[in-house]
Amino acid sequence: MIVAGLDMGVQNVKVAIIKDGEPISYGLVPSGFEPEKAAEQAFKQALEKAEIAFSDIEHVAVTGVGVELAPRVDSKLSIISADAKAAVYLYPSVRTVIDVGAEESRVINCSEKGTVLDFTLNERCAAGAGAFLEAMARALEMKIEDMGMLSLKAAGTVSISATCVIFGESDVVSLIHKQEPKHEIARAIYDALAERITSMVHRVGLKPDVVLVGGVAKDVGFAAALKRKLETEIIIPKNPEFAGALGAALYALENAGGKLK
Amino acid sequence: MNETSEKKYSLEIFPKEIEELKNTIKTASTKIMEEYIERMRKTWPDRPEEMQYFDEIAKFWGTREKEIVEAREEGKKVIGYTCMFAPIELILAAGAIPVRVSSGLYDPVKLGNRVVPVEVCPVVRSTIGVKMVGLSPYLELSDALITSLTCDGMTKLSEILSDYKPVWTLCPPRLKDSEQSISFWKEELKAVKEKIEKLTGTKITSSKLKSAIERLHRATRAFRRLQDLRKGNPVIMGRDAMLVNQTLMWDDVERWTQKTEKLCDELERRAQGKVWACPLKTPRVMIAGTPIIWPDNWKLPNLVEEANPQGVIVADELCSGDRFLYDPVGVDEWTMEDMFNAVADRYLLPSTCPCFTSEDGNEDRVNWIKARVEERRVDGVVYHVYRGCMLYAMEYMRIKKVLDKINVPVYYLDTDYTREDVGQIKTRVEAFLEMLKSRVEF
Repeated sequence: MIVAGLDMGVQNVKVAIIKDGEPISYGLVPSGFEPEKAAEQAFKQALEKAEIAFSDIEHVAVTGVGVELAPRVDSKLSIISADAKAAVYLYPSVRTVIDVGAEESRVINCSEKGTVLDFTLNERCAAGAGAFLEAMARALEMKIEDMGMLSLKAAGTVSISATCVIFGESDVVSLIHKQEPKHEIARAIYDALAERITSMVHRVGLKPDVVLVGGVAKDVGFAAALKRKLETEIIIPKNPEFAGALGAALYALENAGGKLK
Repeated sequence: MNETSEKKYSLEIFPKEIEELKNTIKTASTKIMEEYIERMRKTWPDRPEEMQYFDEIAKFWGTREKEIVEAREEGKKVIGYTCMFAPIELILAAGAIPVRVSSGLYDPVKLGNRVVPVEVCPVVRSTIGVKMVGLSPYLELSDALITSLTCDGMTKLSEILSDYKPVWTLCPPRLKDSEQSISFWKEELKAVKEKIEKLTGTKITSSKLKSAIERLHRATRAFRRLQDLRKGNPVIMGRDAMLVNQTLMWDDVERWTQKTEKLCDELERRAQGKVWACPLKTPRVMIAGTPIIWPDNWKLPNLVEEANPQGVIVADELCSGDRFLYDPVGVDEWTMEDMFNAVADRYLLPSTCPCFTSEDGNEDRVNWIKARVEERRVDGVVYHVYRGCMLYAMEYMRIKKVLDKINVPVYYLDTDYTREDVGQIKTRVEAFLEMLKSRVEF
C-alpha cells in the first residue's frame, strides 16, 4: 500500500510517502505564490525518488495552513496532530514536541500513542518563529546558514528582547552601533527566540523526551540556545522539516487501513 | 457632561469624516450581522422558528432601535450601562429602559486608537470609536450611563464617555467578603438609585421595586431554563443560545422572557423526540474569559461551530453570556430595605469577575467554572482573551491549573477586534477540537 502526507506550509510545501508501512521518500518545494503548483512539484520530487506514479497513491492526507490549496485531499488533520504522530513514530519515548516553523511555532504534549494531550502556539506575531531569524540575519547582513555556526563562538555577553520582529531589528542595529562582536549579537538573537519558545514549553509543561522539529530545528545556533534554556537533552531528527508531512502520511495510512512495518 | 462643554479626552473629527465613517461601518456591520445569522442557520438547518424573533432583535439599527426611539418620544428615559454590575432592577423600577452599550463592532476600533493606545482592550477602544461617530443606537439613545470601575480600561472609559453623556460611576470593591465592602457597595448603589430617580422623576417605591424584581425573576427563570437545556445532549447550538442571551441586553425584558420560554418549550419537545442539533459525539466546548459581544465579534463562536471537526458550545463564562442573568435577587421580606439590600447583594456576591481578589485567589470564579464544566459535561475550555485585557489574561494560569487537575483541556486564545487573525485562530481551534474529538472517541 502506498499513501502520502502533504504539509502545505507557509514557506515550503512538503511531501512524505509511505510504502509498505515505511516512509520511503520526501519532497520539498518553496510555497511561493502558487502553493498548488509547488505541491505538484513536491509530489513529483518524492515520487521520482520512490519510482512510483501519483495514481499509485491510495490516500493523501493534508496538513498545514494551505489545506484549501492542496491538489488532492482525501483527509485532513491539523499540523499539531501531525507533529505528534510523526514524533512518537520516530521516537516512541517522546512526550514533548517543539516545532519551530517559518511563521508559527508550536509546543505539544503527546501520549505514547501519539495523540495530542495539550498544546500551545506562538502568539499571533512572527517574533516567535523562523521569520524572526531571517529578519535578524538580514540586519546582520549575513546568510542565515552562517549565523548559527557563528553564534556558537559567543560567550553570551549581550542580549536582546524578541517582543516583535521590528523592535528586534532596531535592538540588533543598536548593538551593531555599539560595535558589539557579530558572534555575540548572533547568539543574543538565538537566545531571544529560545526564550520565547521556552516560555511556551513551560506553559504546557516540559515532559521528557523532547524532540525539536520544523525547519528551524536545522539551525545549530537555535538548537544550542534552546538546550541551554531548557537544560535538557533535545532530540533532533534527520529531516526535521518533514515532521508535519510524515505525520500526515501516517494519518493517511491509518485512514487507508494500512499497517506500519 | 454634554456635547458643548469642554472635552477632556475626545478629539475633533470633521463632520464629513464622521458621516463617511458612520455610513461605511454601518453598511459593513449590517451585512456582517445578516451573514452571521445566515451562517447560524446553515450550521443548524432545522433551527427552530422561535429563533427568528431573536434574529430580528439582534439587528442593530432595526426594530428594537425604533421601539426605543418611540418610547423616548413618549417620555421614557434610557439608561445605558457598560458592565453587568449595573442594577437593572432599579432601572426598571423607575420605568426606564436598560441597555448595555459596550461595543462589539470591529471597525470603530481604529477611531478609538486616536484617543487611547492600541494596547488598551478593544472593547474599550471600540466603545470610544462608536461614540466618536455616534454609531451605536443604544449608546446614542441613552440619557445617562452607568459605568463600572472594574478594570483599568472600564475605569478610564467612564471618564472618556463623560465627555458626551452624564456618567454615573459604580465602584465595586476589589474584595467582596468583608463588612466594609458590602456597606461601601450599598452606598454606591444608593447614590445611583437617587440619580435614576432624579433623571426619571420617578420615586422608586417598594411596590415598583417589587414588580421590577419579580419581572427579572421571571427573566432569570427563562434564562436558567435555556442554560439548563444545554446540560444534556445538544438541543441548541451554542451560537444560538449565545444570541438569545445577548439580545436580553437591549430587548424588552418581559417580551424577551416570553419568547425565551417559547423557545425552551420547542427545545424540550425536541429533546423528548430525541432531535439533536448536532451529532452526539461533537466535542462539547466552554468559552471562558473576556466577554464576546454581538455582532462583529462572533469570530470565535463561528470558528468553533463551523470547524472541521465541529464543536458545540454548551457553556460560557462570559459576563455577556451565561453569567449575565444567572443569579436571581434573593428577597426574604418585601420591605424596601430588604429588597434594596438583596439587589445590592445580587450584583456583588455572586459575581465572578476577575476584578475581584480574595485570600483564596478568586475561588468563586474557579468554582463557577468547575460547576459549569461538570453540569454541562464540558470536554474542553477555550480561554478567550483580548489583547490588553489584563485581569482575564493574568488569571489564566490559575484556571488552567484547576482544569488540569480535573483533566479538562484548556486552550488560551488571544485575539483582538480584527478579522485579520481568522486564519490563525482557525488553525488553533481546529487543532484543539481535533484533540478533544480524539478524547471523546477514546
